[in-house]
Amino acid sequence: MNKQIIIAIGREFGSGGHKIAKKLAEELGLDFYDRRMLDDLAERKNIKIEFLEKYDEEPRKFFGARSVDARTKSYSNSIEEIIAEMQFEYIREKADSGESFVIVGRCAEEILKDKKGLISIFILADNDDKVKRTMEKFGLDEKAAIAKNKRHDKTRKKYHNVHSESKWGDSRTYDLCINSSSLGLDGTVDILKKYIGERICKL
Amino acid sequence: MIAKIFALIIFCIMFILIVSDKIERHKVTLACGVLTLLFVFGFAMHSLSAVITTLNIKTIFTEGFWYSAGSSEEVSSGINWSTIIFIFGMMVMVEGMARAGFFRWLCMELAKLVNYRPIPLFIAFMIMAAVLSMFIDSITVILFLAAITVELAQLLKFNPIPMIISEIFCANLGGSSTMCGDPPNIIIGTSLHLTFWDFLTNTGLIAGISLIVVIIYFYLVFGKKIAASGTEKIDISSMPDPKSAIAGKRSFAVSCIIFACAVAMLVTHAQTGLTVAFIGAFIAAVTLIAAGKDAIVLLKKVDYKTLLFFVGLFIVVGGLEQTGILEDIAGLIEAISGGKIIAVTAIILWVSAVASAFVDNIPFAATMIPVISSLAETTGININVLAWALSMGTDIGGSATPIGASANVVGTSVAAKNGHIIGWGEFCKSAVPATVIVVTVSMLIIFARYC
Repeated sequence: MNKQIIIAIGREFGSGGHKIAKKLAEELGLDFYDRRMLDDLAERKNIKIEFLEKYDEEPRKFFGARSVDARTKSYSNSIEEIIAEMQFEYIREKADSGESFVIVGRCAEEILKDKKGLISIFILADNDDKVKRTMEKFGLDEKAAIAKNKRHDKTRKKYHNVHSESKWGDSRTYDLCINSSSLGLDGTVDILKKYIGERICKL
Repeated sequence: MIAKIFALIIFCIMFILIVSDKIERHKVTLACGVLTLLFVFGFAMHSLSAVITTLNIKTIFTEGFWYSAGSSEEVSSGINWSTIIFIFGMMVMVEGMARAGFFRWLCMELAKLVNYRPIPLFIAFMIMAAVLSMFIDSITVILFLAAITVELAQLLKFNPIPMIISEIFCANLGGSSTMCGDPPNIIIGTSLHLTFWDFLTNTGLIAGISLIVVIIYFYLVFGKKIAASGTEKIDISSMPDPKSAIAGKRSFAVSCIIFACAVAMLVTHAQTGLTVAFIGAFIAAVTLIAAGKDAIVLLKKVDYKTLLFFVGLFIVVGGLEQTGILEDIAGLIEAISGGKIIAVTAIILWVSAVASAFVDNIPFAATMIPVISSLAETTGININVLAWALSMGTDIGGSATPIGASANVVGTSVAAKNGHIIGWGEFCKSAVPATVIVVTVSMLIIFARYC
């Protein structure tokens, strides 16, 4: 593939968005970036991986950090914000190198909005399917799965909206929003591949 | 009564929004300032004179604003334009020095002087942080010092975190020793018409003694750790040459001369009668003239957001002052302390220290000045004693947590961006005991000397 394409996938918790993104990367022969980019960052910055994982895709807490302006730059000591910024820098670096890849979350559609080859997708799903998936994956009962889905979506939304001008899950933020319940995970991958193929032709 | 309620609500909203850090703090204070003008002075008080007093613009056009031949004036009220002009001037000067490579050169030269050995470097950087912060804002000092510490830590293979925490503490301590070292001191000094020497011979003495104590403390806490981590043999020839930091010989020399002039003017301002507003304006003008065509670049680099933050803050505090709420607080402190000097100073010192550890110490100091003025009037306690207690409390209390003072935020931010994340636990473990030690030392000296 000569043209650079970057597929940024946002997702609801339990929607299967991560699986869809991974499969898309495999079938399109692209590199795949998700939580595992933290391994790279941990090695580069010599930080414990557990520490990065703790604050990954977490919004800043109400109390405990501050920002200070100095010499026209803003300095924040929020660990969540610093780790988010490290990831954004990592994503930008990958994009600037001309690499094509699939990336899950991390406000990639906002961070890379100036990239010509960016295709932004949001995966959602019916509530029953999301709950079922979470129950199976984490061995939870229905009540706990509902609570977990809600909690994670709330965190993701907050994290996204702090770092982005656009809103998380809002159709206007993405090129395409798709409900994975309609066609199933494989069916969704197939339709997305077709869409991506069309987009590549137009680049 | 309604004016008091409005003023208090606006003040609380402002404080909560500043602490939450969701909206840029200059926008918060300016918006709250406008609300104070409209609702407190307009709607509730119908007082144009309160607006005029708080905006305080007339004062800029008086001779005493620029030149005061040692006369003791009454406590200023409303927007403290002297503070704003002085901080503006220092920002321009510091930007000129930073562009010339002064700070980087100084740090590298000092590292070279101690042969890049971790323990001497650790002690030298603590002393330098304190001394530089006496004249330059601690944010700038830490911005450069933390960056160089991280760089040297990579080359010399030691953990920079203990060093950065110690440097931050010493920068805040150094800032407390002079009138221009820390924003709370500038506000206290300009509001109460204190001089550079007043601070140096009072808070300066406390800070000097405290510096010796904290250097010993940090050496005992971190010394072994630093000595153990930097055991590799150092190839001094591979270290960066300090001269490489100098951007241009001419600009470097000019910035050194301007800095020396600023220090000389500040040290002698009680004798010359030149006010800090004059010194700030003069230093800015000289720096801009010397910069030539780069003057625009320097002006663009000035942190106007901080200056606007001060404008809004002074209006909101003016609202509290004009409505008499701060007198009520002063009355409360008087009632609790029974008006005894020991109790009053202890309350001011410790309350300021604890509050400044968790909230920005600038609004706190600005709010407390009318309180101590009122206390001094009603109890007959010398206002200067309360000023020293307030100064040490706000400046040192801010050192206890990563959010207490601006230098802490910048230092921990620079460290974290380079992979050295300093959480609350790690910061407070060493900074809280150091804060308690210094506040106790300050209290004992204040008691022994003034009570």
